[in-house]
Amino acid sequence: MKMRFRNMLGSREARGNAFYNIISVIIAVIFLFPIYWLLMMSFKSDAEIFSPILTYFPHDFTLEPWLLNIQDKEFFMSLRNSCIIATMSMCLSMIIGIPAAYGMGRYKVPGKRVMLLAFLVSQMLPPSLMLTPMYLIFNKMGLLGTFWAPVVAISSGSIPFIVVILRSYFNSIPRSLDDAARIDGCNALQSFFRIMIPAIKTGIITVAVISFLGGWNDLAYSMTFNVMPEMRPLTANIYKFQSKYGTRWNAIMAYGAILVAPVVLAFIFLQKHIVGGLTAGAVKE
Amino acid sequence: MWGCLQAPKGRRRISIPIATKMKLEGLLFVLPGFLYTVIVLGYPLVYNILLSFQNMDVRSFVRGTSMFIGLANFKALFSNPTFQLVLKNTLVFTIGSLVFQFTIGFALALLFAKRFRLAGPIRGSLLIAYMMPMSVTAMLGKNIFGVSAGLINDLLLKIGLIHRPVEWLVSTSTAMIAVVAMNCWVGIPFNMLILTSGLTNISESIYDSAAVDGATAWQRFRYITLPLMRPAILAVLMLGFIYTFKAFDLMFVMTAGGPLNATDVLGTYAYQLSFTKHQFSMGAATGMILFCCLLVVGLFYLRLIAAEED
Repeated sequence: MKMRFRNMLGSREARGNAFYNIISVIIAVIFLFPIYWLLMMSFKSDAEIFSPILTYFPHDFTLEPWLLNIQDKEFFMSLRNSCIIATMSMCLSMIIGIPAAYGMGRYKVPGKRVMLLAFLVSQMLPPSLMLTPMYLIFNKMGLLGTFWAPVVAISSGSIPFIVVILRSYFNSIPRSLDDAARIDGCNALQSFFRIMIPAIKTGIITVAVISFLGGWNDLAYSMTFNVMPEMRPLTANIYKFQSKYGTRWNAIMAYGAILVAPVVLAFIFLQKHIVGGLTAGAVKE
Repeated sequence: MWGCLQAPKGRRRISIPIATKMKLEGLLFVLPGFLYTVIVLGYPLVYNILLSFQNMDVRSFVRGTSMFIGLANFKALFSNPTFQLVLKNTLVFTIGSLVFQFTIGFALALLFAKRFRLAGPIRGSLLIAYMMPMSVTAMLGKNIFGVSAGLINDLLLKIGLIHRPVEWLVSTSTAMIAVVAMNCWVGIPFNMLILTSGLTNISESIYDSAAVDGATAWQRFRYITLPLMRPAILAVLMLGFIYTFKAFDLMFVMTAGGPLNATDVLGTYAYQLSFTKHQFSMGAATGMILFCCLLVVGLFYLRLIAAEED
């Protein structure tokens, strides 16, 4: 019975497929229009930006807004700071988070439930709550005005995330692999570094990218703990074109496009892994 | 042959049972992460609780003369009309965002759970809105909700829905709409992502047998999809609440809480108290109220996760 209908079903499915493809393209065009807007504005001239008539495409295409950013010394300082903060918080979170995820995923650790609870609760402590007490504590410790202040704070958010995601990755490695490692004479550390980490390479890359972006995207911690302009990352300086000559939206949009670039690059190259990682981090399946 | 059963003579080691050794080994891996979390998050949290019952401001912080004043900060907050407005704003912002991002996200999830060629790539590309820096999203919002050369006004005028430009971010009655809209743009892909993964976990065969039994599309949605999706729906709503209620970056950049506190939420208000007015204890008390609200929903979420874990 089913066999006889397969042919008919197949063609219906193909038609459905085309329909869904078209619908989803339309949705993507509408939904991602603000991203197009960001890019398009960044190539408009000053005259076009300040004209009362809104254009949906740059009439005289110009690179000037980009040059305005790139020729600015302050821009490179902020860019450097963003890179430092993102890289440092990525490294710190991974050095501490990956072993924790391994222990949680593969060992019967005493107090595991309590620790898992601590990691899950800590994902619910937002910057807007932690800013005040951390600011006062870091002040006493003399950490304000150093990159360590935002980095330590940002990592406290990334580490639980890494634990939650990678726990299930580590858990999915077949048990026979550790036994084989032990028989070959690997100790715990050797089997962790030589066998377990390479076995979940995609998971490691995913958390590396996500925790890098966590530091890259941070505004609250970096802006509050480091008030000096030469310590500020890109996110905190986004309004610098606002006061000078009215609002130079073209320059701001070019600036925004540069800030979005790492996110877009990550999606182009690692989309599937990031999607999987984000899902695993949000709900346990 | 007997030799095997005898204890080795030369090297006498204190033998630790292998199970205990493994537990210890695991603990050594987990401990740094656990301690880091407890110290870097737990200590400030406790400190924040203490702070909220004191009268710490810049002067008493420097001189170390702050005192415990009981619930005075909380009394002062709840009797302050601005704080009442902030609390109301936070609720309106959260519920408004949740309603729209959930319904639209669910609709998109139903589409992207179908198997078609572009499902994966397009579903992934929508997530850029979720992953990009909030300060850029906020700046973009400020631009497209602009009065004279804003995209939203231009589109609405062209369609004929409005006849003169709306002062979205200038007027107290419309600023919240703009902020919620931008937040939904970020939240929709997140809702879609989690709900899609929930949907793809439902086995095809249930739908097939229901179709054979003559169930309509609506009946299949109502009696199969919704009940089976309950855990995913609850999870996405609770996580959405937690992520939305704590909002800070979006308002800070897009409206700075204005106009006239119309988009001020607990997160931005706590920041102003602590870092503009330097009333650290008042900021901490606002943070505590934020935390308590998150905790209530968070506990439900943890129970849900614990139920799945068993």
